[in-house]
Amino acid sequence: MRVAVCAPQVPFVRGGAELMAESLVEALRGRGHEAELVTLPFKWYPGARVLDQAFLWRLVDLDESDGRPIDRVIATKFPAYCVRHPNKVAWVLHQFRQAYDYDGTELGQFGDSPEDRATVRAIRRLDAVALGEARRVFATSRNVADRLSRFNGIEADVLPHPPQALDYRTEPSQGFVLSVNRLDRAKRIDLLVEAVKRDPALRVVIAGDGPDRGRLERLAAGLDGRVRIAGRVGGDELADLYARCLAVYYAPLDEDFGMVPYEAFLAAKPVVTTADSGGPLEVVADHETGLVVPPEPAAVARACAYLAAHPDEAASLGAAGKRVAGRVTWDACVDALLG
Amino acid sequence: MKVAYYSPLPPSRSGIADYSALLLPALRERLEVVVAEPGKRAPDADVAVYQVGNDPDEHGWIVDALRERPGVVVLHEYVLHHLLAGITIGRGDGRGYLDAMERELGVTGRLLGLGVLDNLLPLLWETQPERFPLAGTVLDRATGLVVHSDFVAARARAAGYRGRLWRIPHPVWPVRTVEPAVGVAGDPLIGCFGFLNMNKRIPQLLEAFAGLRRERPSARLLLVGAAGERFDVGRRLERLGLVDGVERLGYVPEERLWSLMAACDVLVNLRYPTMGETSGSAIRALALGRPLVVSDVGWFSELPDGAVLKVPVDEYEVPTLQLALGLAADRGSELGAAARAYVEREHALPAVADAYAAALEEAAGGDAVDDAVLLRIATAAAEAGVADPAAIARAARDAGVIG
Repeated sequence: MRVAVCAPQVPFVRGGAELMAESLVEALRGRGHEAELVTLPFKWYPGARVLDQAFLWRLVDLDESDGRPIDRVIATKFPAYCVRHPNKVAWVLHQFRQAYDYDGTELGQFGDSPEDRATVRAIRRLDAVALGEARRVFATSRNVADRLSRFNGIEADVLPHPPQALDYRTEPSQGFVLSVNRLDRAKRIDLLVEAVKRDPALRVVIAGDGPDRGRLERLAAGLDGRVRIAGRVGGDELADLYARCLAVYYAPLDEDFGMVPYEAFLAAKPVVTTADSGGPLEVVADHETGLVVPPEPAAVARACAYLAAHPDEAASLGAAGKRVAGRVTWDACVDALLG
Repeated sequence: MKVAYYSPLPPSRSGIADYSALLLPALRERLEVVVAEPGKRAPDADVAVYQVGNDPDEHGWIVDALRERPGVVVLHEYVLHHLLAGITIGRGDGRGYLDAMERELGVTGRLLGLGVLDNLLPLLWETQPERFPLAGTVLDRATGLVVHSDFVAARARAAGYRGRLWRIPHPVWPVRTVEPAVGVAGDPLIGCFGFLNMNKRIPQLLEAFAGLRRERPSARLLLVGAAGERFDVGRRLERLGLVDGVERLGYVPEERLWSLMAACDVLVNLRYPTMGETSGSAIRALALGRPLVVSDVGWFSELPDGAVLKVPVDEYEVPTLQLALGLAADRGSELGAAARAYVEREHALPAVADAYAAALEEAAGGDAVDDAVLLRIATAAAEAGVADPAAIARAARDAGVIG
């Protein structure tokens, strides 16, 4: 089958969504399909500019390429799923959350002006059109599926995807807690840094880069180097950090999916998350595969200290997580998406 | 975002006042709403919404405000002839009436209007308003249109309305425990609520009920609502021998209305010709889970078949209605459960208020957003050698990118 995987690209930014799309292409090729990644640059501001981007995707003709038909289009995110194709499947990793649950919060980008309100409504209307014309809609997590149902009345099947391919392994804990995430306010890495302030024994390594880096560095100043911001790290270094950490911290606000818990689990490490983290709670169960705490620095500090004081339980939680992650495979994803 | 809200409100006894009393609190949870008052300065707002019905006493000032400032019109019924006559002829503005008639039917309309003004023709708003709805005058000033039914949506489009249009159901009153009224009884007790006039098919109802009573002597009919001036219900009852079988009550307050409805085994809401209206009385009946018999016209036709019994308006109307009344009495619980499930699903107040908020937000800023997007698309297109703005706008609309 000839399959086009459509995903937007924010130039110079690379994260889980990009990895997912690339991994899907690889998985499709691995199963003998002809697969190609189709991207357009995405800029969602200012104002109604986001609608221009949707229009670009509507103009893209993927019915055929080089004189041969494209059998299936799989689109992963807004606005890529606005592309038109008779055999479009949406595998929704994200809607444009600024028009949904982020709207009216500090994470939103739209205010109360008539133009902003109308833009939000236009995005929602467009989602209804674009997702409504898909032959099937999948969501990468229950959280995303619930949002599609609540806001758009669209019922999606939940289809999680495996994390990126790394040399996952488990080594003895060196006692630090690892954060792997884009440095963005919504990812709430500041909760972890504040936790370090409350527990003098707590050490953390923060992998990733992003717009919140400066603020996090200022927060981490004066903590005797117990917070190391490693920036963006390569695959080998990341696998090494996973292998040697005590636990992985992952507590974005109402995250849609989040590959990090799966990555942590493949290294047999427990995950510390918060009760409002959304998607991660579908796999991080309290005292089963990690610890789930209130979104407060003191609670995060106590959770990290608990795992440090109970290494056998930490290992057991990580092992349970590994069994959960092992059930999510690319083969299953490809079967569902092409079915 | 601030909304100026124009509507009759209680203590007005209109159905639209009841509608707004139900809707406003929910709307205020979603938007900043300022209620406009007749005779006072128009509120400053990002968008105005005008609740329009056919009564010139209730809605004349609202249409005046709409003329001053275009906005979103909520069209509660499509036929507005009585309203237009009231705010033109009723104010000594015969020319305004002629203009409205000409807007609808061209020169023929103007000539018909002249016939009415010169007392050469009967008053059209009383004799055949459905043939001359005169909604165009209101539609011309609407920047957006909210309707309750596909029926009205289709009529508005056919009349040339091309703007934004939203179909938002009439909200249902929260279902609560209602104690059935005492002192009214029948086996079955059939209730008909609302203003009594010819287009509520009261003569046909009385005839069908008389037939039903021959089969079921314990049946009683409860007629609740004021009667039209030229409609002598009493004489009709005498003629049909129904004086003992029918109980009449005039206007009753809201609480009493609910309890009387709850006491009925079957409710009836007939209509012909339809003015495209939604019936608050029918919505109440569905909310109470009472079996409801309606005419198969307009908005009533769009109710689901499993939730109401529909009687076609044809030469068999009376015998069909008689059968339907008996069937509704016998299948009461089944029909009532389906009715309640339907209104809870389709007419729930939070969903209606959400739809209103979405519509008003689109109406307030939608044009500016569309213009901004189209300008950028058109600029790019022009630079690529395509410079037909209308074609570009059509393409953007077809693509779902603009409204």
